[in-house]
Amino acid sequence: MTQQSMSLAAGAALPKVTKTITQEKINAYSLAGGDGNPLHTDPAFAAGTQFGGTIAHGMLVLAYVSEVLTAAFGEDWLASGRLKVRFRAPARPGDTLTASGTVKRIESGKTICEVECRNEGDEVLVSGEAEVSR
Amino acid sequence: MTTLAALEKGYDFPPVSFDLGDEWVDAYVASVEDEATGALDGAFVPPMAVAALAIRALLEHASLPPGTLHAGQELGFTAPVRRGEALTVAARIASRGERAGWALMGVELAVARGGEAVMTGRATISFPLAEAAAA
Repeated sequence: MTQQSMSLAAGAALPKVTKTITQEKINAYSLAGGDGNPLHTDPAFAAGTQFGGTIAHGMLVLAYVSEVLTAAFGEDWLASGRLKVRFRAPARPGDTLTASGTVKRIESGKTICEVECRNEGDEVLVSGEAEVSR
Repeated sequence: MTTLAALEKGYDFPPVSFDLGDEWVDAYVASVEDEATGALDGAFVPPMAVAALAIRALLEHASLPPGTLHAGQELGFTAPVRRGEALTVAARIASRGERAGWALMGVELAVARGGEAVMTGRATISFPLAEAAAA
């Protein structure tokens, strides 16, 4: 086990991370991520899509899930983490998101967790599974 | 610049090198408000930053078609990465299909530091064929 990795048993909840999405944050992520997709940054374009407005990048929302895992497993997450998720619904400016996780099982030195991110309406935006060797 | 819509299954992106400079890492960390990685000793970069910068490097070669959606993501981290390190990303179009006017594409990524793998991943994206053709 490396620095700041928590001792977690099956059924344990990982530390939650809560953030509020704003258009400014989406724009900042677009600049950092080099993603010029107008669905995220151009309200006029986004208004004509199935979403009716801009949405956050999936990778921005996924960063919140990764922060949960970094807080729980520290350097172990950085050195051995595996993550598989589906993006189920969009995050929109004004949404308050909560990323969370639960230890599902521990086997062969690996801790397997269910992870997700929900909005303030309890809608699941991202869900999947994470695994870390410890 | 071409878009991903023009690329077929099996296409290999030219390897792209990039640096995890402080300015970019700070901008990334600020944009995602990451507080956990900075609490660790060792000037580590958030692992999702490596993924984001690898994708950014690829998008300088082929941009996203308008209206692209991110449907799924797989990532595997095999070594911590620190600020200032130089990485190389290789990528290929692993799958491509079409249904109901949308393309569904799988893009595999492999990021290395020297000869050491630090991250692998697979992004599943979809984009509307009509808008991609008009772009």
